[in-house]
Amino acid sequence: MRVRVLLFGPEADAAGASEVSVDVDETPTCAALRAHLARAVPALVPSLPGCRFALNGEFAPDSSAIGEGDEVALIGMVSGG
Amino acid sequence: MSVEVRIVEGPLGPMVAAPADGAGAVVCFEGVVRPLESGDPIDALDYEAYRPMAEQMLERLGSEVCSRFGLMSMLVEHSSGRVDVGACSFRLVVRSAHRAEALEAMGEFIDRMKKDVPLWKRPVRSLSRTDG
Repeated sequence: MRVRVLLFGPEADAAGASEVSVDVDETPTCAALRAHLARAVPALVPSLPGCRFALNGEFAPDSSAIGEGDEVALIGMVSGG
Repeated sequence: MSVEVRIVEGPLGPMVAAPADGAGAVVCFEGVVRPLESGDPIDALDYEAYRPMAEQMLERLGSEVCSRFGLMSMLVEHSSGRVDVGACSFRLVVRSAHRAEALEAMGEFIDRMKKDVPLWKRPVRSLSRTDG
């Protein structure tokens, strides 16, 4: 399955893109996606441990399964206000 | 109890005085872009929001804080895009019966927003400064 991951802020700057797509196992979890991202985009490795995933606009634990068509976002350290 | 959230392009305009509507306290906080970021001069901040997650989280957080502190209403405004030094990029207006709960609620809302709501800012520096 191919998963499109939205990137923002420092993670987008590190990757040089506002989104990346990675090929993962069928019905991957967020934890598996984290490992795939580390291999596919080495520039994200330093910040990945401190990042959270959001699925369809809600923070999701690493155990969450990612389904076809889910909107996946990598949320690093936020800095609003 | 009502919560209103607005994410707007560019700097926020001046605050429009709202009727007290029976409130004993109307507290407004405005965040303004400072001329220094990590000690270095900047021209502006460029804000990025992950919509609609940011709007949904601000509304949810606002509702939680209003309920917890018994507030009458909350207005949240946050910029997206470029905001020059000296301009307003964030505004929080709280109405309540008394000032104590309004002031405490402001701090809690801002602390939680800065921890969880998907908003980011990047410093913008002019070429003349970076070359200099």
